[in-house]
Amino acid sequence: MQIRHVDAGSCNGCEVEIGSAFGPVYDAERYGARLVASPRHADALLVTGPVTRNMLEPLRRTYDAVPGPKVVVAVGDCARNCGVFAGAYGVAGAVRDVIPVDVEVAGCPPRPEAITEALRKLTGR
Amino acid sequence: MNPIGAALGGAAAVGLLAAVVAVVVPQRVRAWAAGVGTAVCGAAGLTAGIYALSGTTFFLTLPALLPLSGVTITVDALGGVFLAVTGAVAVAAGVYGIGYARHGGDGRVVQAVFPLFVVAMLLVVCAASVGTFLVCWELMALFSLLLVVAEHKRRPEVAEAGRWYAVMTHLGMVAILAGLLVLAAHAAGDSFPALRDAGRHLPPAVAAVVFVVTLAGFGSKAGILPLHAWLPRAHPEAPSPVSALMSAAMVNLGVYGIVRVGFDLLGGGPRWWWVVVLALGAVSAVYGILQAAMSTDLKRLLGYSTTENMGLVLVGVGAAGMFASGGNRVLAGLALAAALLHVVNHSAFKTVLFLSAGSVLHGTGSRDLDALGGLRTSMPATTAAFGLGALAASALPPGTAFVSEWLLLQALIHGLPASGTITAIAMPLAVAAVALTAGLAVATFVKAFGVGFLARPRSDAAENAQESPASMLIGMGIAGAACVGLALLPGLVLPAIGSVAGRVVDSSSPMLADAVTVQLVGVAGSLSPLMLTIALVVAIMLVIGVVRAVAARRARRAARLWDCGAGPMSARMEYTATSFAEPLQRVFDNVLQPETDVDVTHTRESSYLVEAVQYRRQVPDRIERRLYRPVLALVAVWGSIGRRLASGSVHRYLGYGFYTVCGLLILLVVTR
Repeated sequence: MQIRHVDAGSCNGCEVEIGSAFGPVYDAERYGARLVASPRHADALLVTGPVTRNMLEPLRRTYDAVPGPKVVVAVGDCARNCGVFAGAYGVAGAVRDVIPVDVEVAGCPPRPEAITEALRKLTGR
Repeated sequence: MNPIGAALGGAAAVGLLAAVVAVVVPQRVRAWAAGVGTAVCGAAGLTAGIYALSGTTFFLTLPALLPLSGVTITVDALGGVFLAVTGAVAVAAGVYGIGYARHGGDGRVVQAVFPLFVVAMLLVVCAASVGTFLVCWELMALFSLLLVVAEHKRRPEVAEAGRWYAVMTHLGMVAILAGLLVLAAHAAGDSFPALRDAGRHLPPAVAAVVFVVTLAGFGSKAGILPLHAWLPRAHPEAPSPVSALMSAAMVNLGVYGIVRVGFDLLGGGPRWWWVVVLALGAVSAVYGILQAAMSTDLKRLLGYSTTENMGLVLVGVGAAGMFASGGNRVLAGLALAAALLHVVNHSAFKTVLFLSAGSVLHGTGSRDLDALGGLRTSMPATTAAFGLGALAASALPPGTAFVSEWLLLQALIHGLPASGTITAIAMPLAVAAVALTAGLAVATFVKAFGVGFLARPRSDAAENAQESPASMLIGMGIAGAACVGLALLPGLVLPAIGSVAGRVVDSSSPMLADAVTVQLVGVAGSLSPLMLTIALVVAIMLVIGVVRAVAARRARRAARLWDCGAGPMSARMEYTATSFAEPLQRVFDNVLQPETDVDVTHTRESSYLVEAVQYRRQVPDRIERRLYRPVLALVAVWGSIGRRLASGSVHRYLGYGFYTVCGLLILLVVTR
């Protein structure tokens, strides 16, 4: 499973946890999940943060750029329902308002175990 | 009447007439007169060359035309090759010049000199005495100089290029003059047959001096290292049809001179002469194409590519000389045939390339590759012509240069079993140099074509480009057709060139060629460019067909180009010529020694804050820096010392005159 991470407007808390999930302690890569540098190489998108107005169009385009079949994972409370940023002037909505979401990971930020668990559901290992 | 005589007489008459007409008629029709005159002149030269190649010879002596020595003209088969090439290039350049003159450069002198330059070049290869040869050579140099400086009023760089060219071409002329005069002093007269008789019985030291000195002179004309410095300056600054004539016809005459003096007049000579020629050729080829790969100026790139190709030709000539001195006449004929074929091929594709580069300059006003791009849509015919030329220059099938470089490699590789330590060392190195050159040439022309013509326009000038007028396109079309013909059916010219090469080195023709296949004689090897091309096209069609068939089975989804999610990509994100060449520059860092210069300007308030960063990078010609700068500095010092003599005092000047006369009188008294 090749994963492209998209920061749609996150506070970077979720990024720290994703980094930890792929770090030496949790090492999500041993379950077959790999972070890649381009949506053209990806099977899945890992989206963090509420979708800000600036990232609305880039997120849609990134989704379009991923070859099918594809999966979207929304990581963190902001990605699920805008979290503490709900109703803010720069926020366009949650990730599911913009692109179809397949897996959601709760938490502010979610623990690395939760992220790894969600990824293991995708990879099936 | 002899057909060659008629054709040559016609060429000279038409050239002179066109020059007179171009001076007299109003500006509107001046370019027509000069262009048509040049083209007719070239066609006559081509006809004469073809007759000479088919075995006709022509002698003419006009004792009264030139005081003291008279004019002697002989056209033989070797001269015929160069006559035909020069003529053919002049046809394309002449037709092209009609439309190009509107771009500027339709001045009276320039248009009048254009056909005269062609006549002078045609006469150089017909000259059969030292006097005639030197006069024609000098006329050619002067006419080309006038054409190079045609645009000196509009651009100051032209004047500088003209100065370089004037100095170097005349130093070359002095070298040739000295060499031929030494040879003539040992002969019964100054005609070539007399020199030929004397050349076989010269003392080795004198023959060596003659050969080395004339090699320097002819080598500077051919743009061979280290005397190439004028070439990448003069060729870009000259008007494009003139660049084509100089690069595709004039530099060939340097090769003609080396072959004529080395093989014909001096009768071969020892092996070390030709080892020198081979080494100079190999170094020029690699260095020339390396500089071309770094150039961002389209015409400068083509100029360096000329140095490269002349280097390859000299590799062939040098190998031929080495084989001939070792007694292997068949291989010598093969190597010389490869060299002569490369002369012909280089002329064809360099004409296309320079003419289409001129068309780009005409349509956009720029020849900076970093400011071009996207010409495919606005200048389709020019793009097609340049693409054809770039393919031909790349030494890949189905290109033109492929055939001649294949022949050259065949000669070099089969030279390995030939005896001698020097041959065993020189041949593998020459093969490596030719291979490296071929690879770099591909990179260079991919850069020139891809960056210059494809992608998106990088400037307003490139965006608003206009296709050139019909006459320019016809000129490019003529040269392009020659390229295609030479690439697919080299069998049409190879028998003639093979027999010329065979005659020069006293052997039979080194190859048999029918319309389709070239078969080498004496060594195993055959090539069929037409079949190769057909196979290539069929293979490409097959791959495309299979891919299409496989793709049609699955549903296709159209998605926009991935641009990192941010708006449309701009032309500033494209590869430029500089960035494309950067990896190569890194690889050859030690040879090229690029100069980078970073200026950081800090804000007034704090030296920690940066206000502006200026970055400059250039790849200078290292030989020019290391070899020419010190010499020029020395000359400047000498000049400033000499200036002390000229203090401005009339008394002193009168004193100089007085003492000089006294000194001369004393000298006469002492010596008599």
